[in-house]
Amino acid sequence: MGGDGRTSGRAEIAAHALAYADTLYNLARYLTGGAADAEDLVQETYARAFGAADQYTPGTNLKAWLFRILRNAFLSQYRRQRGNPVVGALDTVDPRVADTPATEWLRDDLELDRLRKVVAGEIEQALLTLTEEGRTVILLDLEGLSEREMAEVMGCAVGTVKSRLARARAALRQRLQDYAR
Amino acid sequence: MDCAAARPLLLDYQRGRLTGPQHEEVHAHLEHCASCAREEVAERALSEALERRLPQHAAPAGLKRRLAAAHPGPASSSPARLRPWWRGAWIPALAAAVLLMVVALPRLREMPGTGWVGREDGVAVEAVNDHLRLLERGVAVESGGIHQVKPWFAGKLDFAPVIAFAGDAEFPLEGGAVEYFLDRKAAALVYRRRLHHISLFVARAEGLDWPTGPEAVSRRGFNTLAWREGELGYVLVSDVDAHDLAQLAARLGAGGAAGGAKN
Repeated sequence: MGGDGRTSGRAEIAAHALAYADTLYNLARYLTGGAADAEDLVQETYARAFGAADQYTPGTNLKAWLFRILRNAFLSQYRRQRGNPVVGALDTVDPRVADTPATEWLRDDLELDRLRKVVAGEIEQALLTLTEEGRTVILLDLEGLSEREMAEVMGCAVGTVKSRLARARAALRQRLQDYAR
Repeated sequence: MDCAAARPLLLDYQRGRLTGPQHEEVHAHLEHCASCAREEVAERALSEALERRLPQHAAPAGLKRRLAAAHPGPASSSPARLRPWWRGAWIPALAAAVLLMVVALPRLREMPGTGWVGREDGVAVEAVNDHLRLLERGVAVESGGIHQVKPWFAGKLDFAPVIAFAGDAEFPLEGGAVEYFLDRKAAALVYRRRLHHISLFVARAEGLDWPTGPEAVSRRGFNTLAWREGELGYVLVSDVDAHDLAQLAARLGAGGAAGGAKN
């Protein structure tokens, strides 16, 4: 990247990065599970982003770039604090739940009706039971990122994003089924 | 196509990510496979639950203040001290601007292809402004379907808006309003794409430099897509990506792919 690119990349970050505070904070809340940790993570994200502004390519998806920094910051913090039982407990949960294949329960009309009426607290709780990868891929998908952008955020192949998203959605449905019982 | 092949494609099918032939194959399979059709409905229900009911946590105001203080934007990033206004270098600039307005503005209004606002992206800029205003105010009529929204415009506009798309699961119609678009009234419709709102403004295009074919322009972080059908101008605006806008434009009958993006 040439000098002009660096200048305009830094300028673009300075002009637009703070506009993503809400969406970054939302992801941080679902990754960390708490308001204070989420605030710390977002501040760390912006510190890293402004520090690495020269690495941003102007005109590319700034939101996806910030998401990648946030997730990397979360993971590096998580690795440092792996012994911390609070953080450890966040990287959920029973892998048998996460790996549950597409369930049959929704084939019952009553269960489908139940899914249509699920309330905010239930779906939030269900999301928080997923693995970090599951939560991230669900939220990035909700944000409207393309599969290629999600792959860049998560540092994996597009095919891996597809399979992670499918597993995460199946796990969500399984968890919501549990609530319905 | 059998169930084993169709199941992994259901989400891509819903998101419009399949090629034409693939989409048709999945569609045909769903027509005659009740089990996969129910699965497809369940996946839609899950998407809807996530989009509409998953709580969204906004950053606390205190955090935003701290971030803004730690990372000042370009306008305040200059370390230059405040100086008395009479010592500023802006007086010659102001004089030049006044001269430009006196001499050039009347000509801009007369120039073909620039529109009365004198800039080629006037439609995009106005669309972004109107989109933000509409999000702030909210729609005037909630959608109970296009057949409820369209009659609501009767008597409120001096033209009949032609709206070819009533909304679907991917782009549900949320409602409508009447907005001013530059110097005239426009029908405003709000669709939703996952967590995001997309505004469609329909106005008389006469006298404005409204693009004929679908033309994509990005302004202030928003994507716009404008085109013209006869006397009516259409413009979509949202913070969703350009691909999503192009999908909605196709449903609205804009025809063809979006033109080259301008930045």
